[in-house]
Amino acid sequence: MARLEEMPEPMRSHLATLPCPTFNAKPWAKGPTLDQRRVAIISTAGLHRRNDRPFEGMAGDYRVISGDCTAKDLVMTHISTNFDRTGFQQDWNIAFPLDRLRELAAEGVVGSVANYHYSFMGATPPEEMESAARRLAALLKGDSVDAVLLVPV
Amino acid sequence: MGALAHYLEAEGIPTTQISLIREHTEIIRPPRALWVPFMLGRPLGVPGDSAFQHRVLLAALKLFDFDKGPVLVDFPEDAPDNAPNTDGSSLADLACPVNFSTPDREKTDAEKVLTAFAHEMAEIRSWYDLELEKRGYSTVVSFSPDAAIKLLSDFVLGNPVQLPKNLASPATALRIAAQDLKAIYFEAVMARPDFSMTDPSEFANWFWHKTAAGNVLRLVKEMCLSSNDQQLRMTGEMFLVPLDQA
Repeated sequence: MARLEEMPEPMRSHLATLPCPTFNAKPWAKGPTLDQRRVAIISTAGLHRRNDRPFEGMAGDYRVISGDCTAKDLVMTHISTNFDRTGFQQDWNIAFPLDRLRELAAEGVVGSVANYHYSFMGATPPEEMESAARRLAALLKGDSVDAVLLVPV
Repeated sequence: MGALAHYLEAEGIPTTQISLIREHTEIIRPPRALWVPFMLGRPLGVPGDSAFQHRVLLAALKLFDFDKGPVLVDFPEDAPDNAPNTDGSSLADLACPVNFSTPDREKTDAEKVLTAFAHEMAEIRSWYDLELEKRGYSTVVSFSPDAAIKLLSDFVLGNPVQLPKNLASPATALRIAAQDLKAIYFEAVMARPDFSMTDPSEFANWFWHKTAAGNVLRLVKEMCLSSNDQQLRMTGEMFLVPLDQA
């Protein structure tokens, strides 16, 4: 269904012609084995705590999501209306798999789950997010995170 | 998404990601990516199926085992695709048709749509309230059923709109009210004893083509497009009605 060639028009052409940034560098950060890693989720679904500020535009800002967050605490204010929200309305793990990540930590598959997770609003031009993303790296290191799971919507 | 991976990885944070559009990921070339063949909005595949989500998550995390990259791996499973009824007709009994005949003939078309919307919402909200009670929460962000009716009706009728205190502009308020309205309708559908929908296009087709709520949002879109406010025009153009339902 998300195969580009199977999408109905005009969505297919819209997505096919979206400009994508290119990078000459091939950064590759190393870390321990998976069962020793501390994992944080970064979503681009425009998620935030219920009492936090809704996403207003495409300024590259992000929201902090505490590690003890539950389904009832999280809402979505992504600006796009061109993706399914009914999955998230049934089960937050479809876009923010924190319950699944906690289970993997309990099973010992990953080392631990971060104290903080983050969300951007994904329709934002990448260059608008760069400064915040680079600053976020310091916050992630402060939380001893050595594995980030990036989840689009 | 892939750009974030580049920025974080360059700062020393290892990343892995889920990719929904393989063609974009092939261009951006993030360090580690798992392409999944799921619809937009469902990066983990199947709501309520923790075993399936577990397999997707683990496949993405296993990319940390690679010694070098960039790595782009395809997830081998499709999400189960059940589409027994994609035109929304099974939900038709929840929709309220607009009555363009007497006794409403002295009303404008917009007023008739708003009247049908109010009647429809009166039926919808019993199911919505039940679901809210059962789950203990809703995914609605800012607008209760009454607040959504008021904001959208005031806007359509040209009355001054009152914004919630955390929303800075009418454009943002209308966008979030539209999202909340769809959430109210979907959560109402979830509460029904015959709820078994697995193909989200069924809900979308019903909402946009059978309900008075869909008609109201199309009216709001048209009014936004003719506004002098640039934010409202952009909202009308892009953020109220999906491209595939326009």
